[in-house]
Amino acid sequence: MVEAMISDEAFIKGCAAIGAGLAVGLAGIGAGAGESGIGAAAVGAIAEDRGFLGLGLLFTVIPETIVIFGLVISFILMFAYG
Amino acid sequence: MLKPEKMVKVAIIGAKEQLGIASEILHKMNLLHIEPISETDYFKLGTPMEKASQASKNLLQLRSYISYLKLDPTKISLKRKFKREEIEEKLGKKLAEYHKEIGNRLDELKRINDSLKSIDSEISAIEPLKVLEIPPMLLKGYKTLRCFVGFVKSDPMEEIKKIATDFDFVIKKFEDQFVIAIFVRSEQENEVYRVLQGFGYKEIPVPEVEYELRISELKKMKEEFLERKKKIEVEIEDLKLKESELILAIEEYLSSEVDKAELPLKTLVSKQTFVIFGYVPANSFESFQKKLNEVGIVVEKLNFEEHELPPTKLKNPKYAKNFEILSKTYAIPKYKEIDPTTIMAIFFPLFFGLMLGDMGYGLLIFAVSLYLKMIFKTEGWQKLLNIGLACGVSSIFFGFLYGEFFGPFIVPGSKNPGDVHFIGDFLASLYTFNHGHPLFDRVEEFGVKALLFIVLMIGMFKMLWGFSMGFYNVYVEHGIKEAILEKGCWIFGILGLICLIFGFSYNLGIFTSPPPTGFGEILPKNLFVYGNTVQEARAVPLPIPGLVDGWQAGLNYFYLATLPLILIWFVIFLKAEIPKMGIFGAIMAVELLTWFGQIISYARLLAIGLSSVYIAFVVNYLSLKIGLEPGMAILPLAIVIMLIGHFGNFLLGILDPGLQSLRLHYVEFFTKFFEGGGREYTPFGKVKKFIEEEGGE
Repeated sequence: MVEAMISDEAFIKGCAAIGAGLAVGLAGIGAGAGESGIGAAAVGAIAEDRGFLGLGLLFTVIPETIVIFGLVISFILMFAYG
Repeated sequence: MLKPEKMVKVAIIGAKEQLGIASEILHKMNLLHIEPISETDYFKLGTPMEKASQASKNLLQLRSYISYLKLDPTKISLKRKFKREEIEEKLGKKLAEYHKEIGNRLDELKRINDSLKSIDSEISAIEPLKVLEIPPMLLKGYKTLRCFVGFVKSDPMEEIKKIATDFDFVIKKFEDQFVIAIFVRSEQENEVYRVLQGFGYKEIPVPEVEYELRISELKKMKEEFLERKKKIEVEIEDLKLKESELILAIEEYLSSEVDKAELPLKTLVSKQTFVIFGYVPANSFESFQKKLNEVGIVVEKLNFEEHELPPTKLKNPKYAKNFEILSKTYAIPKYKEIDPTTIMAIFFPLFFGLMLGDMGYGLLIFAVSLYLKMIFKTEGWQKLLNIGLACGVSSIFFGFLYGEFFGPFIVPGSKNPGDVHFIGDFLASLYTFNHGHPLFDRVEEFGVKALLFIVLMIGMFKMLWGFSMGFYNVYVEHGIKEAILEKGCWIFGILGLICLIFGFSYNLGIFTSPPPTGFGEILPKNLFVYGNTVQEARAVPLPIPGLVDGWQAGLNYFYLATLPLILIWFVIFLKAEIPKMGIFGAIMAVELLTWFGQIISYARLLAIGLSSVYIAFVVNYLSLKIGLEPGMAILPLAIVIMLIGHFGNFLLGILDPGLQSLRLHYVEFFTKFFEGGGREYTPFGKVKKFIEEEGGE
């Protein structure tokens, strides 16, 4: 019954949307996990020496690239099938 | 620009008696970067001049006063500069005066603080004794009895009963401990004491007079001391107001005197002569030489050898100088290296604006930076805030392109600009020349697609640029062959990647789909259109060739160009790596994937911006819905939401674009060419703030 109601095109679109969401969401979780350790260490270093603030912040954002990858994948999915 | 200042290595030679004059002149010119040297059989390191010990003693004392008075030279705006002679003349008298006026007062303050502390501790010691409710005269002065008065952690009576026969005690709870008074015979004193120690006994001294009497006595003393303290503090504050500039000027004078007097420590001295080695900026060499020749000191130009590393003096235009704080955080370039500060000075604000791109936030950043510039006068802050100004301007510019003022006024799915933005209709009317559309609508799907491609193009461009500069750096240091093997091959690799991305984008229809109506009407129609129709591009089921419908589906010229480029790269790469690491060197080719990732990483230029656009949009939409009819019409709540939302987004809008822009430089750009490890040029001498030098310079 249900299969008959959803066209193939709509099904593919839906899957692409779910995939896009997963790409950003999971990548975000991964980046967050990576940043947690670096962030903790950076705060420790900053507590020792205030001068480390700039470098510490910088190190903390390095894993953010992963989210960007996820985002690009989601864009491509949406462009191709959205 | 792009290269540090050219340096000349010099040797300064003169008669030993002239060392004093030489130190005066060198210090005043503030040009010579002195090199550390080692002794030889004939030349030994000199000893400090006689005036050094006295001057450094005075300096030490003066600095202790300065730290007590909390004088900060950066916070003082100077009324006038002091003449050198004026300070030399006043020096002895003033130092004696400061010793008397400030030193003695500070000593007295210290004594008063000590007394206050002992009074406080005595008062706090009497409090627990009051709990015992035994007058002090009964707690001391026995001949055959020993009285223990003090704190214990828990009740020791059971233990004491076991060893002592004839005793009396009082025990009371005080805060989380017990106060006890135990009277025992003198013979049993030691044993009881041992037991008490096991309970953490801490004795309390018993005062001579009644508790209340003693407390009031102490309080009176305390008041007197406090009054005296206040008076001294006022006196010191007066002195500080009157003398601070002179004190700092004398400090400056003395510290340069010490520097001068200690010059011989960096000088080689023989029986009759002295020699100093160092570096001077090439463009000041002539005047440097002339000045010293005038007094009969010889300056020789030396050639520096391959392994020597002259100090780095960054040479940048005035605007780019602000960005030195950012590039120096990464590393100081070597003498022969390219100094990327100027490149950063252009691209950092550009990236910032590209990401934030909002007229409202840009104006705020500009205004806040201007305001803070008036408060924080130190050099570091000024430079940082100048960067803020540049970023603000760039945000305003891109904000105009994107048509955003505290959020976008056109969002897909909404017909009326007034629905999504509080001044949406006004903004739309501002863009009537473009049919009410922003010049580049990055919220619209086509805009996202186009911007994604544009930022990736920027990424590819900067990647190639970085490798080209790396190529240059290696070429200068090790020659053309090394440069091709180490950096040149990657240029081919990156070109291959670029073709790959182009092919992919072509199949996605980025070149082929024409902009929708209204989008960038003033731009030429065919700017983004390289193909024929959207259908042509969309006919490809997947952007990766060969996945479905046979190998030729989705193949385009870009993909075809990729193959030879990657091959060229791989051959050169193997030639470079195999001699170094054997056959395993081939595995290092995986590095190409890193560069691919780094090009994609530039997509953050789009992503960070989009996230802040949508936060602003949500804040505007929410507050419009809450604040206006038809809806809930709770205006105050709407205003609060709007203020808090935009404030949060503003903070994020400074932090994130700033950090990401910095990161794109440090990680994606600098790693291609910038090694760093240079020494900073620190000339002998000091820039005078409080003292006027005769004859300028």
